[in-house]
Amino acid sequence: MATTTLEPRAGSYHRSWVLDWLTTVDHKKIGILYIVNSFLFFFAAGFLALLIRSELAVPGMQFLDQNTYNQAFTMHGTIMIFLFVVPVLAGFGNYIVPLQLGAPDMAFPRINALSFWLLPLGGLLIFSGYLFGGAAAEGWTGYAPLTSDRFAPGVGTDLWIIGLALVGTASIMGAINFIATIFKMRAPGMTLMRMPIFVWTILVTATLILLATPVLTAGLIALFIDRNYGGSFFDPAVGGNPILWQHIFWFFGHPEVYIVILPAMGVVSEILPVFSRKPLFGYKAFVFATVAIGLLSFSVWAHHMFTTGAVFLPFFSFMTALIAIPTGIKMFNWLGTLWRGKLILATPMLFSLGFLSMFLIGGISGVMLASPPIDFHVQDTYFVVAHLHYVFFGGSVFGVFAAAYYWFPKMTGRKLNEPLGKIHFWIHFIGFNLAFFPMHQLGLSGMPRRIGDYSPDAGWTILNMVSTVGAFMIAVSIIPFLINVVATLINGEPAGDNPWEGNTLEWATTSPPPPHNFDRLPPIHSERPLFFLTQGHGHAVERPEDLVEEEIVDEKPGDIERRPKDLV
Amino acid sequence: MQPTAPRNRLRKMLRVGIPVLLTVLLAGCLLPPDPKTEAGRDVFNLYLVVLALAAIVFIGVEGFILYAVFRYRRKPGDDVLPEQLHGNNKVEVVWTLIPTVIVLVLFVVSIMTLNEVEARSENPGVTIEVQGFQWSWNFVYEDGPTIGPRGNEPPELAVPVGEPVRLILTSDNVIHAFYVPQFLLKRDMVPVNENGTPNDIEFVVSEAGTYAGQCAEFCGTDHAGMVFTVNAMPRADYDAYIAAIEDGETPPTGGGDCETTIDISANNTRFDIDEFEVPADTAFCIAFENLEDVPHNVAILSGSEALFEGSFLNEAGSIIYEVPALPAGDYTFVCQAHIQAMAGTVTVTE
Repeated sequence: MATTTLEPRAGSYHRSWVLDWLTTVDHKKIGILYIVNSFLFFFAAGFLALLIRSELAVPGMQFLDQNTYNQAFTMHGTIMIFLFVVPVLAGFGNYIVPLQLGAPDMAFPRINALSFWLLPLGGLLIFSGYLFGGAAAEGWTGYAPLTSDRFAPGVGTDLWIIGLALVGTASIMGAINFIATIFKMRAPGMTLMRMPIFVWTILVTATLILLATPVLTAGLIALFIDRNYGGSFFDPAVGGNPILWQHIFWFFGHPEVYIVILPAMGVVSEILPVFSRKPLFGYKAFVFATVAIGLLSFSVWAHHMFTTGAVFLPFFSFMTALIAIPTGIKMFNWLGTLWRGKLILATPMLFSLGFLSMFLIGGISGVMLASPPIDFHVQDTYFVVAHLHYVFFGGSVFGVFAAAYYWFPKMTGRKLNEPLGKIHFWIHFIGFNLAFFPMHQLGLSGMPRRIGDYSPDAGWTILNMVSTVGAFMIAVSIIPFLINVVATLINGEPAGDNPWEGNTLEWATTSPPPPHNFDRLPPIHSERPLFFLTQGHGHAVERPEDLVEEEIVDEKPGDIERRPKDLV
Repeated sequence: MQPTAPRNRLRKMLRVGIPVLLTVLLAGCLLPPDPKTEAGRDVFNLYLVVLALAAIVFIGVEGFILYAVFRYRRKPGDDVLPEQLHGNNKVEVVWTLIPTVIVLVLFVVSIMTLNEVEARSENPGVTIEVQGFQWSWNFVYEDGPTIGPRGNEPPELAVPVGEPVRLILTSDNVIHAFYVPQFLLKRDMVPVNENGTPNDIEFVVSEAGTYAGQCAEFCGTDHAGMVFTVNAMPRADYDAYIAAIEDGETPPTGGGDCETTIDISANNTRFDIDEFEVPADTAFCIAFENLEDVPHNVAILSGSEALFEGSFLNEAGSIIYEVPALPAGDYTFVCQAHIQAMAGTVTVTE
């Protein structure tokens, strides 16, 4: 009898890199997939924004007809929120959270892959309406009964519902994964109050997603039943209540705002201390403020509904005003971090300072909108458009770019080019303000949102033109960013393990990290476990106990190669 | 005195210049339109208070960020760590109190204004049902006519000035919103099921004039085209307007474009023309410009009976009068404040 000799399958076997990326369950690769996918959707939705701004530059309909315009702003809003800002921050979370916790991966790597792959699927379903007689055109808020089959018979709206339900399911799974990872996979010594602030914001964000998104999913299913199976949840003609949709949508939608802004706040709270060379001022207050914002965010949804005449105004006005308090605390803590620091104005820091100054404007206009009489005037006008872009774009997207410049060296081992980054920042910053600041005045003068045309007599022409110029500047600013990314990937300056002298654990491993993340971990006695190791020699010692602990670090031979070089 | 170093001078200029610049910018813009209703005036004043608070916060925080960027920038080669300050409880309590006080003040003044805006009178002067549909409006007068879109013209909502006007806002299709920017007021028009009550609003227009209005809640394809005008006029004109519509006539001050527009200006208590000619049985417009701060108007008289009385311009300014159709014949036009000095002839020809 012949015998079969089995070849030992030791070592790695060859797999095509495409298959590798398609089947990966490594949180770092999934994180990069999240980020790349989100940016592709960002460019698509940004292109729609340019169409919108081109149409609005002067009165009259020049490029689009009304229907195409309505589809454009609906898709722009939906894609930007659900397929760009939320998932791109989830992507950074995916990459960074296990590293900052000192964990080898997320708690559920396969669910992690699934929750990513549902995103492009959902996004393409939402977009595919364009192939079937027109995408959804009812605004990203999809107010009933405009979304009923009577007023929106097209299949585009059904695809929008299904796509959003998938994306929502993906983020619910992602949220569970984050919560499990954060509670169960922290490195020894990392108590909750020693977690990096970015992880805290992701934890609160994930909790918000877990509590809010199922409500939207339920609403979407109810809407689908209304449209396709003769339901009557939202259509008053058959006994439904259109205000019910608004309650459901905003019960999700307002926490969604914090889902989008909290991780960006976390990014900025990582970057400001590192580039000011100081700890975050008031870490504990910052954690409590984050949790307070998360809690309050569930009691303010109806401030989107002041003009419906269907909500108790004083309560929602009061709760909304209250959110300004924890937000104000955060702002002061950031300013306190800058105070007497030694500021290094590298690109991540510029975007973080941009975040502070732009998010401030969005916060102020938000407090103004909390006042019902003022809201009666500016609700559904360009004032609201200005406000939400100062929060989403001036806040979250500035945070996204700050994160991109900050963690790019960790992800690729190469540092993005600083001069190009600064060019990007300044064109971006000026373009952003040109595009969105004039919208405050447009709204105050009464220009409603979601109109493709306006009267030449209304006096809105000049400001709209300025805004359009700004929008194109933002688009132009992306060019140096893309050049920078490509050029750096091809031939960038090697970054080393810790190019920014960061103090959190992701900087304690190589750039990029090995598949299992860490060979060894430093002792963790504060929210800045690397501080003593990178800065302690000859400088101020953060905590006296660090000195003692340093000597009892359990160090095996062979760990040395994997140690960050600064430590050796 | 020591000469100021250029760096210090720059800093000084920034310190003084930026707040001044921002204050001018904020004062020059970021304002709602001049309100034309009584409650609108309250909202405007509330807005000024809120804007002032906003400006203080804005200038304070942005100013600190700029200050920090210039003052605390790391100098090249400086490797000494700054003091590792983890926090300060006293300071943190203080800056928790600052936003608390601001938002409480804001809340109290907002609710006070809200009560003004939401006040309802026992007996409003007129009650009009506003019906929104895709994509225009019907104005249904209580015990009176219904006015809808007229061809390509936006529908016109006629209201009397100086008395409470109540609007019942209804829709039997999708949600619309009634919005007149110069009233600083909008309210959704929500289709209700059998258990619901429609929204209503009430306002007192303080100044006669024509104000643009528009649907503010996205309502489908031609949302942008869903416009209307509010024509606020004195009670007597309002009654005549409604009566004319009930008789099936063109409203006496019906808006829209004029086929004929006569330009008249007033200066030194004189009109610039002393006669003009218009076609018979056709409404026309008078573009009247007052060049001095003396009250003037234009009225058209048949003998001593006024067929048309334009509202007064009490100071320099201009206005378009929409004059109803006149039968053929000769009339006079005058300024009713200066009948002797300011008069001329109107010839209405077949």
